[in-house]
Amino acid sequence: MSTTTVAPARAEVTRPTTTHKLSFGHLLKSEWIKFWSVRSTIWTLAITAVALVGFTVLLTLAMVNAPDDAGAPTNPLDAFGLNVYLGPLAVAVLGALSITGEYTTGMIRSSLTAEPRRTPVLWAKALVLFVVVFVVSAASIAVAALLQAAIFGGDGMTVDVYDSQTLRALTGYALYISMIGLLSFALGALMRHSAAAIATVLGALLILPIMFSAIPWEPLHKIMPFLPNVAGAQVTQTNDQIAAMAAAQPDVITLSAWAGFGVLAAYVVVVLAAAAVLLKRRDA
Amino acid sequence: MIEAQGLTKKYGAKTAVDGISFTVQPGKVTGFLGPNGAGKSTTMRMIVGLDRPTAGTVTVNGRPYAQHRSPLTEVGALLEAKAVHTGRSAKNHLRALAATHGIGDKRVNEVIDMTGLHDVSKRRVGGFSLGMGQRLGIAVALLGDPRTLILDEPVNGLDPEGVLWVRNLVKYLASEGRTVFLSSHLMSEMALTADHLVVIGRGRIITDGPVDQVIAAATRATVKVRSPQASQLAELLAAPDVTITSAEPGLLEVHGATSEAVGEVAAAGRIVLHELTPITGSLEEAYMSLTQDAVEYHSAAVPAGGHTSAGTDAAAPTHEENAR
Repeated sequence: MSTTTVAPARAEVTRPTTTHKLSFGHLLKSEWIKFWSVRSTIWTLAITAVALVGFTVLLTLAMVNAPDDAGAPTNPLDAFGLNVYLGPLAVAVLGALSITGEYTTGMIRSSLTAEPRRTPVLWAKALVLFVVVFVVSAASIAVAALLQAAIFGGDGMTVDVYDSQTLRALTGYALYISMIGLLSFALGALMRHSAAAIATVLGALLILPIMFSAIPWEPLHKIMPFLPNVAGAQVTQTNDQIAAMAAAQPDVITLSAWAGFGVLAAYVVVVLAAAAVLLKRRDA
Repeated sequence: MIEAQGLTKKYGAKTAVDGISFTVQPGKVTGFLGPNGAGKSTTMRMIVGLDRPTAGTVTVNGRPYAQHRSPLTEVGALLEAKAVHTGRSAKNHLRALAATHGIGDKRVNEVIDMTGLHDVSKRRVGGFSLGMGQRLGIAVALLGDPRTLILDEPVNGLDPEGVLWVRNLVKYLASEGRTVFLSSHLMSEMALTADHLVVIGRGRIITDGPVDQVIAAATRATVKVRSPQASQLAELLAAPDVTITSAEPGLLEVHGATSEAVGEVAAAGRIVLHELTPITGSLEEAYMSLTQDAVEYHSAAVPAGGHTSAGTDAAAPTHEENAR
């Protein structure tokens, strides 16, 4: 390894500053490079894709083989239902790690030295995460729908993608999963600690809904529709499904698809805003 | 050019940096010295905006760091070697940071070659040795071809060849008119590299000046005299501010008098001299004497027979008392 060579003479040092400049576009490029150059990204995205496709096909198989006792027509869209719970898990890990990984390794200091105004780093990261997760989960849902039609089309188990409600619900899965990823990212930015952020977001996704429905105390049941993932998952349902849900539980509020998604987005905005304020204020 | 004015940083009740003001001039290497915990790293972190000053200001090339539109081309900083995601390769780390300023892969490859990381650039940083991490940190600092370099302990963990390379590199960069501000605990290395020194202790500036002036001011002039009439000479030299020690018969070490004065006294007293040698102090001696009251974390004295440099073993317990 030869390192005795010293930098070759370059332009005058008192030159006007170079053409290199910090910009949001450049930051996006930087975050794109960072996003794809750690192994956890590939792993979590692969797990997400496999889970979305796998559970949809498995659930369809189960539905096809289930004894048709109720006589009600089966909705092929229901086969995507498990994805509300199992789809965002790996994405939640990815979202948290994409920011806490920088804190635990010290990388954040390099990032903030490159962009000393700081908050644009947060926005660029969030945008890259959201877009990539959306594209990957939308593609996985599309593959799942195709496989469902290819394997079980003969049993009538195929979603009608020309129906705008069905299309909205399917796209809703990708929107919902990406927004959960963003929630996890925001918590990670706030807590700056991988384990704490992942534990918090998984607790909120998996344990809170069970607790709220299991504890026999009326106010909890009233609040339940406003839990982040419960509210956000409304966007994965068609208006007919939401109407049926409302009819089944007349004593609690049933949020519409976009109202529910708006509630989830509001959680993200609040946590992300808090994280941005702290990022500006705290020593890195 | 780095200018600090009344720069202060408090962590709760503890004052890490206490209203320091200094200027780091372009065109020379300025060394930043001080004991552990003196506030060196905190000061450097405030310069690049990682820590927010409790009071005071610091500007780089005329502006606060965060107000530069292309910070990496203004300032290259190595603050701690491992401010790197351990799961990423060295090359991707550099590419990601370069991308923030639209700096292309050509420059990335240049700094990789300059820092000797070529063979390991595709390896994940987590497996890097201290020295490799240090080289990567220096590569990051050089990415933007910056006008000002801030290097915290750049030679820490480097092999002798790497130490020499850093010394030549910073001198070369300073000769190009850039501002170079570096800290180090290696006094001998600092003496060879720096033109100017800022010494800090307990968050305050102890001294600020050219290296030779700092050494001259902080060390007492010593003259080595060899004479067959040593005891007679010692009597003639006796004065309140002169101390004389004798390591062997016929050999005196005179502290507090110049070699001219000793020679004149000897001539006047008709004393034969076999040797008259002025001894200049080392930077290490100067540093030890400057910072002895400012040392925060004292080492235990080494038992008799253990060898330490500059007599710190004998002096340490007294410092401890001073510090309390």
